[in-house]
Amino acid sequence: MATDITHEVSVIEGKPTLKEIDATIIKPMDEMPNIKFYIAIGFTLTLLLIGVISLGMAFYRGLGLWGVNNPVGWGFAIINFVFWVGIGHAGTLISAILFLFRQKWRTGIARFAEGMTIFAVMTAGLFPLIHVGRPWLDGYLMPHPNQHNLWVNFTSPLLWDVFAVSTYFTVSFVFWYMGLVPDFATMRDRLKNSTIVSKVKKTIYSVLSLGWRFSNRHWSHYEMMYLVLAGFATPLVLSVHTIVSFDFAVSIVPGWHTTIFPPYFVAGAVFSGFAMVQNALIIIRKVFNMEHIVTLDTLEKMNKVIIVTGMMVGYAYGMEFFIAWYSGHEVESFAFLNRAFGPYTWAYWIMVSCNVIFPQFFWIKKLRRNIPFMFVVAVLVNVGMWFERFVITVTSLSRDYLPSSWAYYVPTIYDIGLLIGSFGFFFTLLLLFTRTMPVISIAEVKSVVAGSQPTRHKLGHHEEDEHNG
Amino acid sequence: MDNNATKPRFWKSLNLLANKPESIESTRHEFRKGVTDDFDLNALPDKSRRKFLAVLGASAAFAATACTDYPDKGEIISYNKKPSGVIYGHANYYASSLNSGLGILIKTREGRPIKVDGNPQHPINQGKVDAIAQAAMLDLYDPGRVRYPVKKSDSNLLLHKDDMPKTDWERIDKDITEKLKAASQSGKEIAIVAHSVKSPSQEKLFNEFVLKYPTAKFYTYEVFGNQNKLNAWEKCYGNKNLSVIAWDKADVIIALECDFLGTEGITVEQIKKYTSRRDFDNAKSFNKLYTVEANYSLTGANSDYRLKLSPEYQYDFIMALINEIAVKKAQSAVNLDDSAMTKIRQYNLSDFASKFGLHADKLATMVDDILHHPTKTLVVCGNSLPEECHIAVNLLNEVLGSVSNVYSDKYEVLHRPTNTMADFAQLSAKMKSGNVGVLIHFDSNPAYHLPHEIGYTDALKNVETIVSMIHIENESSEGSHFILPVNHEFESWGDFMLRNGVLSTQQPVIAPIFDSRQKEAVLLNWMSEDYTKYNHDIYHQFMKAHWQEKVFPAANTFSSFDEFWYSCLHDGIFTWDELSIPRAIINVASISLTQNTLSKSGFTVILTKPHYLGDGQYANNGWLQEVPHPITKVVWDNCAMMSPATAKKLDVAYGLDKLDKISDMIDLTVNGKTLRLPIMPQPGIVDDVIAVDLGYGRTRGGEVGTGVGFDAYTLMNKSGNKIYTGASVAKAGESYELISSQEHHSLDEEFVKDFHYKRHIIQEYTVPFYVEFENKLEEAKSRLKNEFGDDREAYEKALKTEKTHLLGHHEYQSHSVYPDKEYPGVKWAMAIDMNKCTACNACVTACNVENNIPIVGKEECGKGREMHWMRIDTYFSGTPEEPITSVQPMLCQHCDNAPCENVCPVVATTHSPEGLNQMTYNRCVGTRYCANNCPYKVRRYNFFDFRNDFKDGYYRMDTLELLNNPEVTVRSRGVMEKCTFCTQRIEEARSAANIKGKKIQGSDVVTACQEACPSDAIMFGDMNDPNSKVSKLRNHSLGYHVLETIMVKPNVTYISRLRNTNMEDTHSGH
Repeated sequence: MATDITHEVSVIEGKPTLKEIDATIIKPMDEMPNIKFYIAIGFTLTLLLIGVISLGMAFYRGLGLWGVNNPVGWGFAIINFVFWVGIGHAGTLISAILFLFRQKWRTGIARFAEGMTIFAVMTAGLFPLIHVGRPWLDGYLMPHPNQHNLWVNFTSPLLWDVFAVSTYFTVSFVFWYMGLVPDFATMRDRLKNSTIVSKVKKTIYSVLSLGWRFSNRHWSHYEMMYLVLAGFATPLVLSVHTIVSFDFAVSIVPGWHTTIFPPYFVAGAVFSGFAMVQNALIIIRKVFNMEHIVTLDTLEKMNKVIIVTGMMVGYAYGMEFFIAWYSGHEVESFAFLNRAFGPYTWAYWIMVSCNVIFPQFFWIKKLRRNIPFMFVVAVLVNVGMWFERFVITVTSLSRDYLPSSWAYYVPTIYDIGLLIGSFGFFFTLLLLFTRTMPVISIAEVKSVVAGSQPTRHKLGHHEEDEHNG
Repeated sequence: MDNNATKPRFWKSLNLLANKPESIESTRHEFRKGVTDDFDLNALPDKSRRKFLAVLGASAAFAATACTDYPDKGEIISYNKKPSGVIYGHANYYASSLNSGLGILIKTREGRPIKVDGNPQHPINQGKVDAIAQAAMLDLYDPGRVRYPVKKSDSNLLLHKDDMPKTDWERIDKDITEKLKAASQSGKEIAIVAHSVKSPSQEKLFNEFVLKYPTAKFYTYEVFGNQNKLNAWEKCYGNKNLSVIAWDKADVIIALECDFLGTEGITVEQIKKYTSRRDFDNAKSFNKLYTVEANYSLTGANSDYRLKLSPEYQYDFIMALINEIAVKKAQSAVNLDDSAMTKIRQYNLSDFASKFGLHADKLATMVDDILHHPTKTLVVCGNSLPEECHIAVNLLNEVLGSVSNVYSDKYEVLHRPTNTMADFAQLSAKMKSGNVGVLIHFDSNPAYHLPHEIGYTDALKNVETIVSMIHIENESSEGSHFILPVNHEFESWGDFMLRNGVLSTQQPVIAPIFDSRQKEAVLLNWMSEDYTKYNHDIYHQFMKAHWQEKVFPAANTFSSFDEFWYSCLHDGIFTWDELSIPRAIINVASISLTQNTLSKSGFTVILTKPHYLGDGQYANNGWLQEVPHPITKVVWDNCAMMSPATAKKLDVAYGLDKLDKISDMIDLTVNGKTLRLPIMPQPGIVDDVIAVDLGYGRTRGGEVGTGVGFDAYTLMNKSGNKIYTGASVAKAGESYELISSQEHHSLDEEFVKDFHYKRHIIQEYTVPFYVEFENKLEEAKSRLKNEFGDDREAYEKALKTEKTHLLGHHEYQSHSVYPDKEYPGVKWAMAIDMNKCTACNACVTACNVENNIPIVGKEECGKGREMHWMRIDTYFSGTPEEPITSVQPMLCQHCDNAPCENVCPVVATTHSPEGLNQMTYNRCVGTRYCANNCPYKVRRYNFFDFRNDFKDGYYRMDTLELLNNPEVTVRSRGVMEKCTFCTQRIEEARSAANIKGKKIQGSDVVTACQEACPSDAIMFGDMNDPNSKVSKLRNHSLGYHVLETIMVKPNVTYISRLRNTNMEDTHSGH
């Protein structure tokens, strides 16, 4: 039989019935969580508690508890902010950009990645609020009419951050929620009013599903709205980290003041975001038996994205050096030499090896499809990307223009506590997400089951949609 | 009543116009009939809207009041009856003196002193005081001061704690006078240990005390006195009237281990006079400073040429120099007899130089300079060098014939010679044998200061009665039976005579804050017949009587003594022409040119005077502890300074190699005593020489000062000398956290070498280069004038290019997409003359006092969180063996294109129409972005509420509230702050000008740092005023901006330093 190149390769394995799909995906919401879940959430809540205590101490006594000092005014808080915003890139990229490009392999991972985006941006959003010296005056950062004639400074990139991140969060949230509506309706319809628990659940899902009835009209509006939102979210994916990079690029600090930052930051964000999604999915698909929905092929494709973005980041590292030398600016050249060979050389080479060298193993197909291996590489990519932000923030500040004011930055336990706490916050939310909402889009997966789409080949058979869809 | 008068001019209705009574009545009611507008809550019905609103409003008001946490809960008490001469909100100034005898002007606000500066009328310090005096304000309000007299009890208690047994003065006076009488009668000695006497009235008091109590004996000491110099002077000139050096008259100064710009003598006067010969507009008449030293002193750092020589060889060096000049070049202003000649001939300069590795070129230049200006060459010798060096230096100055030029006609008045260490050893012996009945510590701390070999502390145990008159607990007060609090110098009366014909007065500017008394008054009271009749005025009256008797006759222009007296108090100074004693001619024959008493063996230890702690008495002053050592930049500690080569030899290091601030410790053994202390490699120190600052390691020095650093007094032997040879050093294998406020890199680290030149932070030229430049510029000017004729603009442009070219700079064009901002009115700017800055840190301390800058403590300094708005940056270039130091005061540059301003998200930092970069503390949320974006790193962030955080709020305790300058906001935690160009002073000047109906002038404003600068290196004013000094300096050929190329357009102009070296010796940044 000749190969038919017009035939779409199925993005899920096997031919599950629609009912089976429902059951698989909704299973975590149907059952009481097992002991493993309690252990997991206990662990993440402990991390969160560490963060809360560290933060509480810093609120009580002052930011002096952190390692920030006179030349290095920004430390872990800003590093974490940039890191988490970066993590928050994968979700919207997968669900919006890949949607526009009709990349169907995204269906299995889109919802989960979107959820991660929301939580990562929530985590990130905390840091600008808490890194300031007087967090009780955070309201000053929002333009609002007031009798003090206080206004914000629209030339400050920090203010652009406020808008960029909040817009990104809002749009991502709406996008995520809209995608969830048909699934909420599915869950609503599966529930019977038999017990009090199911009644409560049904009520909640009814409210959340906004009266969705799977009518053709609903679907038609939904598809249009989803497309529009995807179009709307796509530029935001690029803009948010561009603007975060302005925090650095707009300043005059040597090593920050570079025009390559916006694309470099976006590439890095996608890079780390994919790595984080990879890490989480590898666990989720195993735990919830969704290996046939989130397939190895999908993971392999993600690895391809990782290697591409990793090389973009690597290119940026090289280009920075070239431009620093080419500019002929002594301070600028020194800033980069100092990164690679100065007191923070250890951090720089951690960054380079994790971000540029290790992903190169993905050229080998065997390794690319090896789940334990890709898990380790994804972890390393996240470590590397965290260090990238560390290197950018700290090395540039620690040795800038006046050698008299150079100093070494050393984080304190409160800084580390806060970093740990941010992971606790993120993973706690993620764990709660897995138990309350479908982590894989039921409706979308149904649309990619073999035979769900009209085809002239009549492969497979049409199955009647139970939901009148 | 006239009807018209009641007719309304404006009316609402015709009825009203007609003045109908019901209409008039109706205007009195706002609301319609039936609605009361006489508000009576009780009269309202239960469900009334108004009642609801009233109750709501009242509850809200009560809730708000109840929740208010207004930080200042203290009572505000305004003047009930205004004291005369006080205007609320206006400062009053009083002329007084420091206990060092220097004239000061104290600024008081509402009766409390808040700032001190020099008295401009005082002929010695001429309106300037050093960092220590600037910070004296903190000592006045130190909460650790002893608050009331105490009779012996558990002296381990901290004295400011409330649980100390309080005794009243009357009981103490009774007890002590009884003891004094008993001692007198039984023939036991009454020993009074005091610091050197500078006051004629005090001297009189001491003499009278001895008359009253015949067994009384006064012992005076000064740790950093000039005994060696004085003894040498007496041997050479036969008197003890040490001539005062006229530093401004010498063309060539050769300082031998003499830190006259840093720690020796009256530094403010010396700095002022020395730098008066460093006027860049008169470059040809620059003086030339050579130092020959082992320790790398501030003078060495400021010198044009520095020769390294271990102190043991100084004597030989001076003699070799005499030989070179008097014998070889046969230039001698005095006749040297044969015996002297024979001695001198033993020393040969070139042999000496090659033997001890003296830099041959530098030495040749030096000899050359001496021979060119023999009568204008001043050779000075440090106080720590032995007597024979001073004798040899006196001879050298005589040989040069410079004596009549470089000494003024003033001499130092010696009221009472200080006692020798042998005297104190005797005293110890007497104390031990029980022959001392009463021992009085007269504001002195011998237990800490005297060499431990004398055994003073042990001997204290055998003294029946010990009385300590102190400010803050100290080592000597520890075992005392009576602890008497004494007045601070701002609470005291006094007079001081440092030089002939110069008498300065001291008057209290605040009533004693605590239950303290003036120490002289306490003695007077014990001398009086009835001690119960004490009043605070007795020493004042005693002094006045003395003046009437001794001083008034010298004043012939006053009608009455009272007029004279108040005039002196007003001015703080009285000067008269006293015939100066003609200085005796040196008797060369009588000079016994002895042999060198120092011989080289093992390591040499130099015990140096700390820059900011006096002899250790200012240990409890956090401001002074936090001023970085001007060379090593170490704060809150002393350390063993040694050359990098020595450190390498000993296998010890300071932490930068390890990327932390850990220093290896050494065991330094001198005279059989060992001290363990951390090291600091300091380029420029002679190998195998170790310099250690004294004055640290107080075991009882108040809450702040106790346990800071290491007590090097323990290394002294009973001679009390400061230089010891034959020391041994061993690596202790222990490390210590030593905090330096500035990261220094080893000078041979190519990666970071000479950045201050490469980045145009420091620009320096040599005098010959600049003189040549000026000539070439004149040529160019006339050439360009011909070329361009009347086209002024083209001429200026071409001249600028020419200037840049002649200075060897790159010309660069500055482009901006924005138009330059216009500053039509006043525009504030500063200029700092690097030729004059010696890094004395007076400006830094003055800024701290003026602007309420908190003390952060050692730990926070270690994290780079010091709060100084102004700092002195130090850069080294050259080699580790022959370093060249460049210093630079750094403060907010108030850039026109301030990079801090556009990044603040909440508009907390803005630009004023007068060019100031302002901070609005209330708006600041503390993102620290501005500090990151500041290329000069002058912004300071309140990481904590440092006043609360340092030592459990020590500097927030009761009395410290009085210290703050009321014109400057005290910043809270989480807020960014920085130099404001003393905006409070600008506003004060503006309002003064407004009252006079004038516009503010640049010259009306003097910033705190400018006011304090002893060399007037800092100039401030209006750059839009073409006649102002600042605007002229901005366009001066030597003027430059730090980091000019990044286009932030700073408003602080630095004047390049000219080194008075040969042109080929330049290390400049052009």
